[in-house]
Amino acid sequence: MSSSENMNRIGSCSLCFLLLALGATPAWAQLQIFACEPEWAALAEELGGDAVEAESAVTGVQDVHYIQARPSLIARVRRTDLVICTGAELEVGWLPLLLRQANNSAIQPGAPGFLAATDFVDLLEQPQTVDRALGDIHPFGNPHIQTDPRNIARVAAALLERLQMMDAAQADYYAARYADFSARWDEAVQRWTSRAEPLRGRAIVTHHRSWVYMIDWLGLDEVATLESKPGVPPSTSHLASMLEQLQNEDVHAIIRSAYQNSRGSHWLSDRTEIPAVVIPHTVGSVDGTDDLFSVFDVMLDVLLEPEE
Amino acid sequence: MNWAALDITILGPALAAGAIVLVTHVPLGREVLQRGIIFIDLAIAQTAGLGVIAAGGLGWDVHGLAAQLAAFSAALCAALILTWSESRFGKFQEALIGMLFVLAATGSILLLAANPRGGEELRELLVGQILWADWHTLTPAAVISVVAVTLWVEGRNRFGRIGFYALFALSVTVSMQLVGIFLVFASLIAPALATRNLKRYAVAVGYAVGLLGYLLGLILSAQFDLPTGAVIVWALAGVAILASWLIPAESSV
Repeated sequence: MSSSENMNRIGSCSLCFLLLALGATPAWAQLQIFACEPEWAALAEELGGDAVEAESAVTGVQDVHYIQARPSLIARVRRTDLVICTGAELEVGWLPLLLRQANNSAIQPGAPGFLAATDFVDLLEQPQTVDRALGDIHPFGNPHIQTDPRNIARVAAALLERLQMMDAAQADYYAARYADFSARWDEAVQRWTSRAEPLRGRAIVTHHRSWVYMIDWLGLDEVATLESKPGVPPSTSHLASMLEQLQNEDVHAIIRSAYQNSRGSHWLSDRTEIPAVVIPHTVGSVDGTDDLFSVFDVMLDVLLEPEE
Repeated sequence: MNWAALDITILGPALAAGAIVLVTHVPLGREVLQRGIIFIDLAIAQTAGLGVIAAGGLGWDVHGLAAQLAAFSAALCAALILTWSESRFGKFQEALIGMLFVLAATGSILLLAANPRGGEELRELLVGQILWADWHTLTPAAVISVVAVTLWVEGRNRFGRIGFYALFALSVTVSMQLVGIFLVFASLIAPALATRNLKRYAVAVGYAVGLLGYLLGLILSAQFDLPTGAVIVWALAGVAILASWLIPAESSV
């Protein structure tokens, strides 16, 4: 297949010329970062600025549990310097396969080029025993950590260390950007927390148990989940018993992620008149969530005034 | 355009997976088309999936050899049922295949409701992704496919109906895990349709159509950054249409 190699070479050359022509930062100076989820790509850009080039495997409107394999994904992982994923088996369905196909020893789990965000956060819902009858339980705990901004701060600190280790020449640049980011972030977390004060103790219904960290942070009360077991669509009897339960409760909202099917939420909402809303779970999941800050701005906008 | 993705080490195993699937599916596809039982592979695949879920329900390990045996046993049961039903209800065979498909599919849902473990395995089994194929998984699949096609070519007249259904069950179970159910269906039907009017060299032309479809699909997927399996299905259909447009003119000469 020498023809494909030739095409490859021609392709790389024209790409270099294109970048030079555009006056962009030369590709060889940038740390290449592959993120599994958009929140980690956004965080890498916050800390790395012009010194990194970060891309996410899934977009904000895709279900991170599943992914359609494309050749470019393998090609990207093959030439990446650092992989940032959530870990705790969230990506267990596809990341091990992708890493194996990429065959890049620098970014395998355990190597400095692989960062699992959940290693730096205390996970909720760590099961006492993993009972298979309870559904697709994550044995290491609930991996959906990014819905609590304090977890983002913890991962940011770990990411700074990793960036400085991988790219020592730019260590001061990363430190300066981290100092700026974390000052703005801490201030924003305080603002969000005080804004969310009226929500404390309010009851909500969720679609999938992917909001436990947000619920923990804001002191919400998750009174029911549409999926009777994680990953299993609701059964008629589960919906009926939920309907009965919710008649007697003052529930604030039914929440789901952008990628989840709206039918279950709407079914329940129609019968209970509780508003069913989409809450941003990451960057790019709903309109107006272009960076990490706006994710939590919009999250609170929707939670404070849930309207369909 | 994405030139970096056009890499033989990325696309090579996928093309090999396609070739392994085609080895058995081109000759079997002609037989399927002739018998008019087009949806048999969907029914067999779904039954294999049901077998894996049942194994999970019994507390067996749903990965590895146990799952493979469960999948193949269930597919073989389906093959035996279809052998019997063809001799018993001949002209309703396609309708019975359709019923078997929906029973297996809904049976999976019912089993999963009692025991959610196995849901992800079912998905893996039915929608195997061609790009994840590696040499480690390709080798046993290649051996099984070559054995199956040899048995088919050498013994098709001796084994009769039951031999056809059993070999079909084996090759569908193997190939759906490599490339997924959509590609299995396309690999079975598209080359067979393209070569329906050929008397001689039909299987050889079928292989060429299939390989060209896979190759074109892989290149398009790399260039335009599209999900690989889905693009190959469209490429196979395109090549098959082109070939069937060219072939009648040639065969009538």
